[in-house]
Amino acid sequence: MNGFFEFFISAFLFVGLFFEVFLLLTFFDAEAKRRRRTKPDGNFPTVAVIVPCYNEENTIARTVESLLALEYPKDKLKIVLVNDGSDDTTAQAISLYSSYANIKIIHKKNGGKYTALNAGILATESEFIAVLDADSFVSPEALKEIMAHFDHERVGAVIAALSIWNPRSFLEKLQQAEYLLAIAFRHVLSAVNGLYVTPGTLSVFRRQVFEELGTFVLAHNSEDMEIAMRMQKAGWRIVNAPHARVYTKAPGTLPKLVRQRTRWMTGLMQNGFDYRAMYGNPRYGALGMLTLPFSTFAVVGIIVVSFLTVIQTGSWLSDFIRNALAVPFSFTFHVSSFSFDWFFLPLNTVVILGALAILILFVRMCAGAILSNTKPSVGMGIVWYVPFYGLIAPVWIIRAVADVALGIRRSWR
Amino acid sequence: MKPYFRNALLAFVIAAALFGTGFWVSNRINDLRLAELRNIQDRIGTDILSLETQFALLEGLSCQNIRENSVLSSELNALAARLAYTENQLGSANEEVEALKRQYSLLEIKDFLLMQRVSEKCGLKPVFVLYFYSNQGDCKKCETAGHVLTYLRETYPQLRVYSFDYNLDVGALKTLITINKIENKLPAYAVNGKAYYGFSDLESIANILPLDTLATSSATTTKK
Repeated sequence: MNGFFEFFISAFLFVGLFFEVFLLLTFFDAEAKRRRRTKPDGNFPTVAVIVPCYNEENTIARTVESLLALEYPKDKLKIVLVNDGSDDTTAQAISLYSSYANIKIIHKKNGGKYTALNAGILATESEFIAVLDADSFVSPEALKEIMAHFDHERVGAVIAALSIWNPRSFLEKLQQAEYLLAIAFRHVLSAVNGLYVTPGTLSVFRRQVFEELGTFVLAHNSEDMEIAMRMQKAGWRIVNAPHARVYTKAPGTLPKLVRQRTRWMTGLMQNGFDYRAMYGNPRYGALGMLTLPFSTFAVVGIIVVSFLTVIQTGSWLSDFIRNALAVPFSFTFHVSSFSFDWFFLPLNTVVILGALAILILFVRMCAGAILSNTKPSVGMGIVWYVPFYGLIAPVWIIRAVADVALGIRRSWR
Repeated sequence: MKPYFRNALLAFVIAAALFGTGFWVSNRINDLRLAELRNIQDRIGTDILSLETQFALLEGLSCQNIRENSVLSSELNALAARLAYTENQLGSANEEVEALKRQYSLLEIKDFLLMQRVSEKCGLKPVFVLYFYSNQGDCKKCETAGHVLTYLRETYPQLRVYSFDYNLDVGALKTLITINKIENKLPAYAVNGKAYYGFSDLESIANILPLDTLATSSATTTKK
């Protein structure tokens, strides 16, 4: 069992190392450097920002205020607030903005986020369509930063760099550490057109994309992933604007976090299955040959490693308890005067490479922090990211796999 | 060549190099461990030879220099811990580990014989326990038994525990097993010439040992 465990961990580590090194190398590529240097060029096409709202009474005002503060010509910017049949005071909250000339408000029966987005698309004629979740808010320069990256006719969408706003609790700092990784990750994948999701936190699309491919669909409650895969399949490029800052509220409790990530993971698997022809297909470049296969490998690998780890840990724990019960309690936990002995350092191939993989992970987090100009206030989150997510991520992954396998559909909230 | 493909190829080469380096470092550390074990065994071997030589010069040996818990005992225990750790890392089938275990068993037997003679001459009263185990997966109680003996050995410094892998191919060990009439029912114990089998809990093991004749490690005076 020990030998099999080590073999599988080593294989998993090798693939993980390979992908991390690939991301690091791509970070220093010409295209990635060019994207980092891209600045707003004074070109301001018309943009409509669609904000689908469902019971967002606590956050919608802040979202709208941030949109109104965008450094973008007001005559080129339209804000479309779509109330998707909220049963709280969201309708009243957005009605406060009805007097603004560049804000359009739509009230409709509840039909799901994708229906709200589509209603917003139909209600405007702007050249570009942006989507923004009602619990997220943008930095003033975000939109002009994004628009600067539509520098090729086949760039169909540009996504922003997302962070957690003012992380305070331990859980929020952990998620912020994760989002720093994601900032670097998306920036690098963008350089090889390897992105497969256009998040609802300020992604901007050419209208032409919707005219050619159609609007959003239900897509297993992950329309942001489905439209991205549809675009990639049709030969559009998706780019990341690393300096376009958007902030969102993180799930504040562990159950909410698990629920959110289960939904994301379920969406990844189900949309991945729908677009399975892209996997391992060289026609789709880095997306088909690397990003998508690696995401599947990661899911399978994490599940297998988790099971093996649980079995190994259980076996070790069982032996430990049996031995501890055989002698007085004080003997098992007594600590004689500590003297460092290199002989007993647990240094084998797995430990050394695991430490290296974690080091590269931290380097990528730093890259994400530098890219997003994030102050180092998430130290504890970075330190505890690996051990905490190592324990909790398998939970939502396994839950998502079970949901997909058993056909369980969970509600958005 | 597409940029991503070039980077992927380079990443594969780098990852393979990193993997190879990690593997090499791990092997080097194990080599260092094995070298350390050989050094310790050589040192112990020399110390035993030295004491045997002193003992042969009977009149020259002062019993005041000998205690039940001689420095050899702590060295042997330290060696045992390192050997067990290395065996766990490299596996029992590793040739070097097996060679080191054979040497270790011989050192233990030599120490056992020496301490018997010293005890007789100097009127010492240690308790000798020969403990036989197997790590071929056919002795589920052996790990717990070993743990209990470690506790007893640390609690009663005059308790001299000698642990032997029953399946080790060493002539002297086979002879020891024959002399003490130890059957292949593990864990097995030989205490003052008598064989016991199967015990793995503290109470049972303590019952077969004359612990009431021994001072504990927390005693303020020790018998001379």
